[in-house]
Amino acid sequence: MTQPGWDDDERLLEDLARAVRDTAPLAGRIADHGEAALSWRTIDEELLLASLTFDSSLEQVRETRAGTGEGRVLVFTSPPLSVEIEVLADQVVGQILPPGEGEIVVETPDGAQRRVSAGESGFFVLPEVPEGPVRLRCDTSTGRVVTSWVRL
Amino acid sequence: MDDDVSPIASLVAAAAGGEQDAWRELVERYAPLLATVIRRFRLTSSEVEDVAQTVWLRLVEHLGSLREPQAVPCWIITTGRRESIRYLTAQRWVRPNDPLDGGYESAAADEHDPDEDLFRVARHEALLAGLAELPARQRDLLLLLVEDPPLSYAEISDRTGIPVGSIGPTRARALERLRRTPSIRACAAGPEPEGPAGGGRHDAARLG
Repeated sequence: MTQPGWDDDERLLEDLARAVRDTAPLAGRIADHGEAALSWRTIDEELLLASLTFDSSLEQVRETRAGTGEGRVLVFTSPPLSVEIEVLADQVVGQILPPGEGEIVVETPDGAQRRVSAGESGFFVLPEVPEGPVRLRCDTSTGRVVTSWVRL
Repeated sequence: MDDDVSPIASLVAAAAGGEQDAWRELVERYAPLLATVIRRFRLTSSEVEDVAQTVWLRLVEHLGSLREPQAVPCWIITTGRRESIRYLTAQRWVRPNDPLDGGYESAAADEHDPDEDLFRVARHEALLAGLAELPARQRDLLLLLVEDPPLSYAEISDRTGIPVGSIGPTRARALERLRRTPSIRACAAGPEPEGPAGGGRHDAARLG
């Protein structure tokens, strides 16, 4: 009924032992990195999650675009608005849709924040590419959203 | 009886309600599965940590929509793979890897033939996903039984409070329970690369 050998207790335990031992030190480090994540739970019910719905880096058919000046494009979508960003070599440019003024807060897991503003056109610039996971909290007249965590 | 109830659903619900202890236990239970998923991609140690942290942060975002215990391992496998691939493509594309960023040692431990790797990874994912959802007493016992170097039944009895004479039967029940987990049963249906931890396509259509 199961994979070859897994009907046998000894064999099942042996395979389990290998699976556990293969990952042991790495799993410990990975667990350490997870503990603090719960503090990022969103308890503000009016703050909507904008899910990552497009990422050019995951496109199957992608030409090598290095050197063409085009960066990785990501789109976050939520019911009231979407946020599109393009990651360039030394900065990130973004667009809030529908266009409108807004304040964007770049959050990182260590709690650091950086604020930038979007003008009437909804266009904004992050003057550098953040390292590690980030999310963007966007406060606009259309609505308040926070993007999924992502590494740029 | 309690021994047959997977604790995952209640851990997810408690973590979604902000209980740090429940979250910590979820993370501990699923860290080995996530480690197996990520290590395949041979990232540097700092990249592995970034990927893992992103997956946990995403899991926090999704706690409210993952109340089905079976959805958790699927979600972790899918998200872990996707974030690793994202790293491999995006990072190398926009910012070439820094040659000074050493640390390829940690994650890149496999040096086997790729087909065998894929098969073994799928089996390991199923075993670790199954282990993660066992009741605490059974999971703790199995973890002690696979320690290296091995522990004697007397030591295991000391640590678990299970009498020496009951360890054998408890072990047999725990393994039987493991065999019946959805993850192992799904794996038994064949090495299906997209979902050894269950046939559900939960969240598969979304990137976030």
